[in-house]
Amino acid sequence: MITFPPPVVAKHSPKALPIGLAGAGLVIVGSLFSWSYDPQVLGDLSIALNPGGLQIMAIALALLAVILLLAHKGPLAALGQWADTERGIHALADWTLIFMTLVVVGITAQAGGLINVEPGCWISFLGAVLLFLASRLVLAKKSRDLAEAVLPGWVEILVIVVIMAALLFGTAYALGIADAWVFVLFLVFVTGMAIAGTRAGLLSWLGHISLRRKRELILAAFAVAFCFPLTQGGSDANMSIASQVLVFAAAAMGLNIVVGLAGLLDLGYIAFLGSGAYVGATLSTSGFATIGWKPPFFVVVIVAACFTATLGLIIGAPTLRVSGDYLAIVTLGFGEIFRLTMFNLDGNNGPDLTHGPNGIPAIPDLTFGSFNFGDTHILLGIPIARFSNYYLLLLLLLAFIILVFHRLNTSRIGRGWVAIREDEKAAEAMGVNVFGLKLLAFATGAFLAGMAGAIKAHQDVSVTPDQYIFLESAFLLAAIVLGGMGTIVGVLVGAVILKLLPEKLRFFADYRLLLFGLLLVLMMRFRPEGIVASRRRQLEFHEEDEELAVRVEGDIAEEAQA
Amino acid sequence: MTVTTKAAAAQRAAGVPLLQAEDVTMQFGGLMAVNKVSMTVNEGEILGLIGPNGAGKTTFFNCLTGLYKPTKGQVRLSGVELPPKPRAVVKAGMARTFQNIRLFANMTALENVMVGRYCRTSSGAITSILHGPKFKREEAETRARAQELLDFVGLHDSTEHLARNMPYGNQRRLEIARALATDPKLVLLDEPTAGMNPQETRQASDLIFKIRDTGLAVVVIEHDMRFIFNLCDRVLCLVRGETLIVGTPEEVQSDPRVIEAYLGSGVEDEDEAVDETDGPGTPDAEDTP
Repeated sequence: MITFPPPVVAKHSPKALPIGLAGAGLVIVGSLFSWSYDPQVLGDLSIALNPGGLQIMAIALALLAVILLLAHKGPLAALGQWADTERGIHALADWTLIFMTLVVVGITAQAGGLINVEPGCWISFLGAVLLFLASRLVLAKKSRDLAEAVLPGWVEILVIVVIMAALLFGTAYALGIADAWVFVLFLVFVTGMAIAGTRAGLLSWLGHISLRRKRELILAAFAVAFCFPLTQGGSDANMSIASQVLVFAAAAMGLNIVVGLAGLLDLGYIAFLGSGAYVGATLSTSGFATIGWKPPFFVVVIVAACFTATLGLIIGAPTLRVSGDYLAIVTLGFGEIFRLTMFNLDGNNGPDLTHGPNGIPAIPDLTFGSFNFGDTHILLGIPIARFSNYYLLLLLLLAFIILVFHRLNTSRIGRGWVAIREDEKAAEAMGVNVFGLKLLAFATGAFLAGMAGAIKAHQDVSVTPDQYIFLESAFLLAAIVLGGMGTIVGVLVGAVILKLLPEKLRFFADYRLLLFGLLLVLMMRFRPEGIVASRRRQLEFHEEDEELAVRVEGDIAEEAQA
Repeated sequence: MTVTTKAAAAQRAAGVPLLQAEDVTMQFGGLMAVNKVSMTVNEGEILGLIGPNGAGKTTFFNCLTGLYKPTKGQVRLSGVELPPKPRAVVKAGMARTFQNIRLFANMTALENVMVGRYCRTSSGAITSILHGPKFKREEAETRARAQELLDFVGLHDSTEHLARNMPYGNQRRLEIARALATDPKLVLLDEPTAGMNPQETRQASDLIFKIRDTGLAVVVIEHDMRFIFNLCDRVLCLVRGETLIVGTPEEVQSDPRVIEAYLGSGVEDEDEAVDETDGPGTPDAEDTP
């Protein structure tokens, strides 16, 4: 066992608590007043005693600060012994100050001058500065091991429900934000809360809960996702984005089997999604479809998936025997070949299958019996429009893909994949079918992408070659790397970030690639295992970190108990 | 500790041949790493493979287990010729450990052994996704068998430990357990006591006897002569890729050529077990696939 040095005995500066509480109080009080004269700026922040979105965020930050301060040394000390309040307060104060500074900058920029910042905003800003100063007076202390913090079952379930509800309303709110500044500030708010929570140990406590209550957590997550269309009040604008996010997430999840589990670098994965979409389109009842056979949709999905899986086998069989780099190059080439082939099957250069660059337009909406995906249906008094229908269908598909991913990962096959990633030679010498397992990963990934593609064709109405360019493959891969290779939650988070942010930050459009490049570089430098790290990947990326290895062992033991 | 009596040893030496390697030759360019080596291992026998550094012991192992495709010669297990493919060799019933430990470092001890069960289980992708009774039964069996093997090698306390966190001696044991998980008829151990202290070495020989007593044959590469002469029914000495002598430990021990091969003729040398690496000319298992 590793022994840690004894903690420095903390002497809490007596001034920290009053200054900090005063600062937090000022933030709250300031938020109750008007922040700006102009109701057009940053949402409406101009009415006193009626806080707008940003003001509510400021209040939430301050309230968390109050709780942490009181838990550090005060009436909530019983709570504080579990949390690393010092680091939590530090992070929270930093981000509150960043938040308030950005608010001031935002009002100034949008309304054209510092003069437009109202006293309420200055009060809150001053509070943030005080909080920041107080946080530097707070000293480190030792906290107890969160693994021992066991609450009654219903409390844990309640926590899960509360978090899921917050997630649901947070997402609905974020999608509804029209102003880019407000959206950025919302991101700052979420990041600040998340970092403070992580530093204080809240997240690792949630990690322990989720280890114990996996089933409830998954159920809650899907319930929330299913409820999401109901929060939109019949508006389909956000659902259009949400359903695109789901297609992207489904494809990323399929690629995650190839990259995250089997450890194969596939740079042309979008071609599999594309071939699924083309099969879906050519077998649809579109007037432009080139094949006369019109089977029902579930047959089309199976055909698309099998066709795509066959493509995967054809590409994989000759190339999977060589090592990683070659595979990357071959898949990159395959992606381009696919696109160019679709581009050229236009009747001039070959048989007219795809109408070349024009693609196959006017693909009708899906119908299951009398249920038409193009129509608006009423559920619980709330209209569910076209994109919401696709959203729900895609959610089912995503659930299926996650199920496949999870079950393969926890089976004999998943163990084989890990063994191959760890030491291919040793795996082979222990009787693992290295080539077969790699091929299986490749084909499974392709199969799932084919299914997603067939649905995407109907959702997008038309299929053209330029939807399936290399950049899309790169984005899928980036979602996995950013979110966390080999994890379910991580890749979903990565997919949401990479698909949602560009939609909301339109004014960044020109710098989108630059920003993602920068983001990836920073991630590789500071957290190569991704936002949500898979336990195994984390170990692989930190070969030298003994402390991590010991911690992971503790988690494994806890999981084995549960 | 089991003692190998002379009578028992003689009986095993005359027993049913399990592994027959004939004229195995491995040539790397101009270098004859293994030259026409023949070896027979009988059922339930412990055979020692000794030789100075660079003699080609590990290369010979790699030829036997299909990691290398021998230039010439053939290997038969229970009379069936083995193709030079590691997976087919394991499936046929021959498993190995590595000179430098090659565990799956970020998997737990139990998972490592469960990987060894891979070739004896058959749940495919669809079975795994359906998660039906067959899958659950096989998974439970795999787990139970892996646990049993961990107990067998004395690692019952380390089930949930990560391989990379385990002490060196336990990693060696775990590698043996992983090899045993493939249900072999014959295990090849490449320097199982390298880097061990005398007490660990003694435990290792106990374990090898224990494996033999379950009816398996064992081939051991070692540099520790006391260890090998205590343990083995027969010993084969390789020098510069060629068989020098095969015989009982007494015969090999007293052969002047063996002493000469290890110590050189008339030159004072410090120790026989100098270094665990093979000579510069002979590629190791991990260098050249």
